[in-house]
Amino acid sequence: MSFRTFILALTASFGIAWLAIIVIPFFKMRDLAPIAYPEAKTVTAGVFFPKRTGRVVNGARVYAENGCYICHTQLVRPTYAGNDLYRPDWGGLKMDPDRGDTRRETNAFDFNGEKFAQIGLMRIGPDLSNVGRRVETAEASSANPTAWLMAHLYNPRNDPQSWNSKCPPHRFLFEKQEIKGYRSPDALAVDVGENMEMVPGPDAKALVSYLLSLKKDHPVPAALNFAPPEE
Amino acid sequence: MSSDTPISTAQDALTRSGIDRSLRHPVMFFLMSGSAWLAISMLLGLISSVKIHNPDFMSDCATMSLGRVYAAHVNTLVYGWGMQAAFAMILWLMARLSGKECSMIGSILTAGHLWNIGIAIGVVGILAGFGTGMPWMEFPPFAWPVLLVAYAVIVIGSFIQFRVRPEGGAMISQWYLLAAMIWFPWVYLTANILLHCIPGHPVMAAGINAWFKSGMVFLFFTPVALGTVYYITPKVTGLPIFSNQLAKIGFWSLAIIAPWAGMQKLAGAPIPIFLPYVGGAATALIFIPACAAAVNNLRSILANRETLALSPALRFTFAGLISLVILVICGVFLNLPNSTLKASQFSMAGYSAEILAMYGFFSFVIFGAAYFIVPRVTRREWLSRRLIRWHFLFSVYGIITVAAVALIGGYLQGTDQENWELPWMTAAQTGAAYAVAITFAWCMILLSNFFFFIHLTLMWLRLGRRGPNPTLLTNPHAADALDSAAH
Repeated sequence: MSFRTFILALTASFGIAWLAIIVIPFFKMRDLAPIAYPEAKTVTAGVFFPKRTGRVVNGARVYAENGCYICHTQLVRPTYAGNDLYRPDWGGLKMDPDRGDTRRETNAFDFNGEKFAQIGLMRIGPDLSNVGRRVETAEASSANPTAWLMAHLYNPRNDPQSWNSKCPPHRFLFEKQEIKGYRSPDALAVDVGENMEMVPGPDAKALVSYLLSLKKDHPVPAALNFAPPEE
Repeated sequence: MSSDTPISTAQDALTRSGIDRSLRHPVMFFLMSGSAWLAISMLLGLISSVKIHNPDFMSDCATMSLGRVYAAHVNTLVYGWGMQAAFAMILWLMARLSGKECSMIGSILTAGHLWNIGIAIGVVGILAGFGTGMPWMEFPPFAWPVLLVAYAVIVIGSFIQFRVRPEGGAMISQWYLLAAMIWFPWVYLTANILLHCIPGHPVMAAGINAWFKSGMVFLFFTPVALGTVYYITPKVTGLPIFSNQLAKIGFWSLAIIAPWAGMQKLAGAPIPIFLPYVGGAATALIFIPACAAAVNNLRSILANRETLALSPALRFTFAGLISLVILVICGVFLNLPNSTLKASQFSMAGYSAEILAMYGFFSFVIFGAAYFIVPRVTRREWLSRRLIRWHFLFSVYGIITVAAVALIGGYLQGTDQENWELPWMTAAQTGAAYAVAITFAWCMILLSNFFFFIHLTLMWLRLGRRGPNPTLLTNPHAADALDSAAH
């Protein structure tokens, strides 16, 4: 076999796969056709566009830099690929006070505003696709969800319910400062010494804002709704 | 491809020792800096493993937080050790097989330093909190062009050597190495350009990242290791390659199958639905090329059991091939869409497969080749058979623990995750229990690499034993007092 044949065969065997599973899908997915959303009354444009509020870009950066994706996934798989949807609070809420069962699988529009979808590596911790919704309704129903998440990042084992959590604490995202006059409204309920308080740093604020923006349970248009018909 | 070995003459021996002498500095540079990175990576792996079951360990230090340490551990393993060990293999094997002396030592060493500086800054970047958050590509974005340029300078000479080699035929080793030299820049450039330079869909970006990881393993580290095995086995056993037909089948099936693998990690994600299925099928089918190459070499090794008992090179190669077979069997049974993939997709099983590929298979083959190559380029023999034996035993027991525990534990963890009626904490607990065993295994592997690093440093300093006889695993003249006194 000549060198030229070898290189050609190598280029062909790699290049076909490269075109078929990388280049063409990449450029096809760059601009997905918007999905019409006739039944929604609140969406002015009439297309499905899950709105996210919060510091998505900054928070996603903090999430990536600190390797949250190693233990946490952000993917609620359809039932053919996994049982994530059956969990009562992963794909949405089984019993949302206003909307009933809001659970649904992750779709391609859920990562709007992010550069890289943090699908995740291992589920050492729970899936975070709807962590914002979960924290607002369950863990912190009576308290401030931001404060609950801050306290959780500071010490994940603070809450007696999660005494056995394997989540590492992220105390380095917080700053210790002297109390001047009133306590800061953001200060954590931890004792850090006489006349001192612990307040979230900029990265902690961005991260918590991002985590609270993770609410991937917007009602989907019929074309994206794979839920079984209601009986 | 020619199977007939050239008749050894005095002229050939001179040529070979000339080639070895010309390559002393590049080969030793890449092996030394690679094994230093390996030791760092093992240390970081140990820290991150401890943190998985004991989260308060060193948790006040941002640099040492789990997310950063784990990323640094994987990236030093891949780019610090894996790539540099592969450079050493490519440089030496291509020069030997093409019969050409290395004439670009200055530029190779310069590029080698550039590579190491790039990695050092990249690792500091990850630990300082500037990682990109894309698995296996966590170095801050400035690093990849630096590494790619350094790579091109390092391997270009080997490419030219192949083109100007005297005979027309090429050995199967050269096929594998040449293919790896072409596949790596293609995979690396594609992934980095599409993820860093061209804004695309975030989920497709994650898919390309999964493909990149698989491509690094099966299109670079696997062919480099198989090219090395196809050289070491015939050399040490003295037998020709068992079947040239099988070797060709193994090579071309790898070339056809491996580029499709990887995206099964995105099963259920909103990307075109054929991608995860194709990825799962391809990953399972890699069984064919891997087994073709493994059987081909294992036949020669097992036909020569006395040499297997004596030669460190052959014993490490043998263990590496067994790891490869285990890896591809796991590849078949853990990647079946709609059955096992559900449980293995987000469990520790994926990490253990990476470690099995990078350490159990690739690194073992490289260690074996290093025990063969280093005495030839330094013209000294290995000092201590005990250090070699310890290196082997601790590495083998370590990798068996990682593989067994993480695969079984990962699978059980995944099954618990899938059992949605169990509270989430149950699945988390299942995984954490096995993580303790992985920490133990990292301790053993770290220790074994400490032995290797010390031994290699002594060889690098040319403090090796002078003498005509190679250092073997068991002393054939153990009763001979004179001989044992000489050690």
